[in-house]
Amino acid sequence: MPSTRRPSGDSRAWTEKTLPTHLGAIRAVEAELMARLLDLGYDEEHRFAVRLAIEEALVNAMKHGNRMDPSRQVRLRYCASPECVEISVADEGAGFDPAAVPDPTADENLRKPCGRGIMLMRAYMDEVSYSGSGQEVHMVKYRTP
Amino acid sequence: MRIQMRHEGGCQVMMIHGSADTEASPSLREALMGAIEAGQTHIVCDLGRADFLCSDALGALITAYLKARGRGGFVRLADPTEPLRELLKTTRLDHLFDIYSDVTAATARP
Repeated sequence: MPSTRRPSGDSRAWTEKTLPTHLGAIRAVEAELMARLLDLGYDEEHRFAVRLAIEEALVNAMKHGNRMDPSRQVRLRYCASPECVEISVADEGAGFDPAAVPDPTADENLRKPCGRGIMLMRAYMDEVSYSGSGQEVHMVKYRTP
Repeated sequence: MRIQMRHEGGCQVMMIHGSADTEASPSLREALMGAIEAGQTHIVCDLGRADFLCSDALGALITAYLKARGRGGFVRLADPTEPLRELLKTTRLDHLFDIYSDVTAATARP
């Protein structure tokens, strides 16, 4: 269930949602965040970047983290302010080593139809970090002129 | 996402409207593979009205590209909107796909 909370020491409002492991659950939360960014005056380039990153993070959490197991959930937290957007996505999987994921832009990997999600998050967001054993990704996009 | 199909210059042109997100990607994959299986191996994807491609949609385009090439054909991209042009550059898929300024240019080349 969605909720808005303020972690201790953080005066900003965070939105927290628990999503089922179901790809059909992604659009609604994505649309909600995009509407918030539009209200805050983020331009199309920033909105595209954040949309792509949150989509890839949620898909990774459901497909690779939770392995589409419907008994597992994905926890999404985000905070959008006029200065930046912060997003955290956590799954209930076994984790992984982000450094071990092959570079999809390498010549030998260009023809591979998958494996671009993490690279896209890194390319389109300003900060991307993993915690736990790779079960949670935290991303930040700063608003720049 | 909506896909409009038409024949032009001996090619199967697929105009993609809207967002090819994770939920829509299977439809894109199905349309591409369906065309190739039906013998339409010269495919031009018109991206002039597409505003979003997720990694799964990119994967569908790559799979179709490989399959069409394996049958002597091609999958070409035409008129990508600016965010998609940047996406193709970021992923270096502009090194894999032939990208044209418009459908006419994409269908004109043998």
